[in-house]
Amino acid sequence: MITLLIRYLNLLTITFGVLIVFSFALAYLFPGDVLTNMSGIVPQSDAQRQALEKAYKLDQSIFSQFWHYLSNLFAGNWGVSFVSQADLLSEIKIAFPATIELTLYALLVAVFIGIPIGFIGGLNHHKPFDFGVVCYSVISYSFPVFWLALIFITIFSLQAGMFPLSGRINLLFDIPHQSGFILLDIFYSNIDNKSAAYIDAFKHLALPTLSIAIVTTAIFIRFARRSIMDVMEMGYIDAAKSRGFTTTQIFFKHGLRNALLPILPLMALQVSTLITNAMVVETIFSWPGIGSWLIQAIYQRDYPAIRMGMLVVSVFVVTLTITIEFLSRAIDPARDRFERVSV
Amino acid sequence: MSQFNLYQEEFQPSPIKNIWLEFKQSHFALAGLAVLLVFCTIAIVGPIFAPYDPSLQNTNALLLPPSWASNGSISHLLGTDSLGRDVFARVLYGSQTTFVSSVVLVAVALIVGVTLGTLAGMSSGVRSSILNHFLDALLAIPTLLIAIIIVAILGTGLINSMLAIILALIPQFVHQTRTFVRNEMEKDYILLDKLDGAGKFRIFWHSILPAMFELLAVQSTIALSIAIIDISALGFLNLGAQGVTVELGAMLSQSLESAYVAPWLVIVPGLCVFMLVLSVNIVGEGLRSALRNRLIH
Repeated sequence: MITLLIRYLNLLTITFGVLIVFSFALAYLFPGDVLTNMSGIVPQSDAQRQALEKAYKLDQSIFSQFWHYLSNLFAGNWGVSFVSQADLLSEIKIAFPATIELTLYALLVAVFIGIPIGFIGGLNHHKPFDFGVVCYSVISYSFPVFWLALIFITIFSLQAGMFPLSGRINLLFDIPHQSGFILLDIFYSNIDNKSAAYIDAFKHLALPTLSIAIVTTAIFIRFARRSIMDVMEMGYIDAAKSRGFTTTQIFFKHGLRNALLPILPLMALQVSTLITNAMVVETIFSWPGIGSWLIQAIYQRDYPAIRMGMLVVSVFVVTLTITIEFLSRAIDPARDRFERVSV
Repeated sequence: MSQFNLYQEEFQPSPIKNIWLEFKQSHFALAGLAVLLVFCTIAIVGPIFAPYDPSLQNTNALLLPPSWASNGSISHLLGTDSLGRDVFARVLYGSQTTFVSSVVLVAVALIVGVTLGTLAGMSSGVRSSILNHFLDALLAIPTLLIAIIIVAILGTGLINSMLAIILALIPQFVHQTRTFVRNEMEKDYILLDKLDGAGKFRIFWHSILPAMFELLAVQSTIALSIAIIDISALGFLNLGAQGVTVELGAMLSQSLESAYVAPWLVIVPGLCVFMLVLSVNIVGEGLRSALRNRLIH
């Protein structure tokens, strides 16, 4: 257990190291001036340029540059955006929770709808219901997420007018930014009509969450269905049957936990897909998250912003993936070292 | 058939034939295959069917609805867009670009991934471990992020977006290959090869690769559906195909400004991507269950 923990911590550290080195190297790889890519400031005069080069240690060797970059990174001095000249750390602090919130809700919907449906389908293998489940999962898995979002906007926002088109909450509600999670912020705020604010926030959340969740749900249905089908063919299920347990008892006592085990590592592989989908959907719904922020950055060639945004998102995804991997290995020691479960 | 048959199997179908016999049991899989073949045909000879040049602007017919609408015209089967370009011709060319580029990038990712995966599976120790850790890091980075970085370094374009998706797909192939090769290396027939004095390359080429064929076929269909969605998503975000290159995702984003008056401009390219991905997924699903059932019967 301790060895496992150390090994995963080691993996985490190495990966972070690779990502930080990469983000440092990007300043040299991106077109344009290294100084501007690093600091986000376009020097107006030679004197300013020299001062900046001294500040960023660009006149010294690449190792001391990197060391300086590293200490800046941990000190929270992330440079400024090339376009808006705003501090990158505070910008990311505002944008990133919005993405996490959206992703989290979509993941919750996918887990709590997808897995039960998959289990029911797998238990009724070769019956009409199972067939329906498979059809549904294959069809919804095939939706390009950006098209689905556009269709939702066309139907529910433009035609029916049921849901708002963009944003997180109506601007009439003056919610101060605290945690970055809109539902929590409403809770912490001291406005009069909290329930109205909640309803409005939920209406804003509904379509983006649904567009991400539908595709993710399809994946979870497939995982869960496959997993329960494999488990129900095991010998211990037959043994339980022969002891006279009912199907419900068998499922809850023996089937459920064993079927959930292989789903966890598969979740780790889905994290990056989920984040990609969330980032695409954000740009469509003008959700003020890291995805639309990064897309704006690339349209404006805001290299410092891309560099830091990439570092933050990938560190987040790597941490999440490795944590899930570690948990699944810790829960299920029988898993082989190199095994990657297939669908 | 005679009542008594001494030889139960009169002919032994080859493995590929066996898969096909099992595959065609499912009507859905066959339907998916038919749709996929239509797209393949479009990808190869599509431009022959195109009634107009995809960038030809007919200024007399802007935003014409599809031909079945009451004010549509039969000369433009699926209507025209806001610049008067024929949507049907553009969809044909767009499907071609999207499909062909996805197939190409999956092929490249397959070759690179299998090579790296075999190297990792056959070697052990520090080299293998470094490769694994590096790939774990790469696998975790979302496709869109890789695409953004590549676009930032190299600029926008279809080739660059393909490069990004290849980078995102390679780790999956590597993981699958590595696991497979590692398991296979411990089996007796490989030991036999080794005793015969076969080198590593020969073991891979003559023994492991044929055994890996099925795994790769299934993995490629999964990768292909991901590639199609990703390449159109990048096109949609204006990070992929640019300018005169007709691509389904890029078509979708160009039609956004007139989406309210001309919803078919959003529906047609999106539906095309959806059908393409759906047919690939159905064929993949059919292939997977055929491979699974083939061993049972």
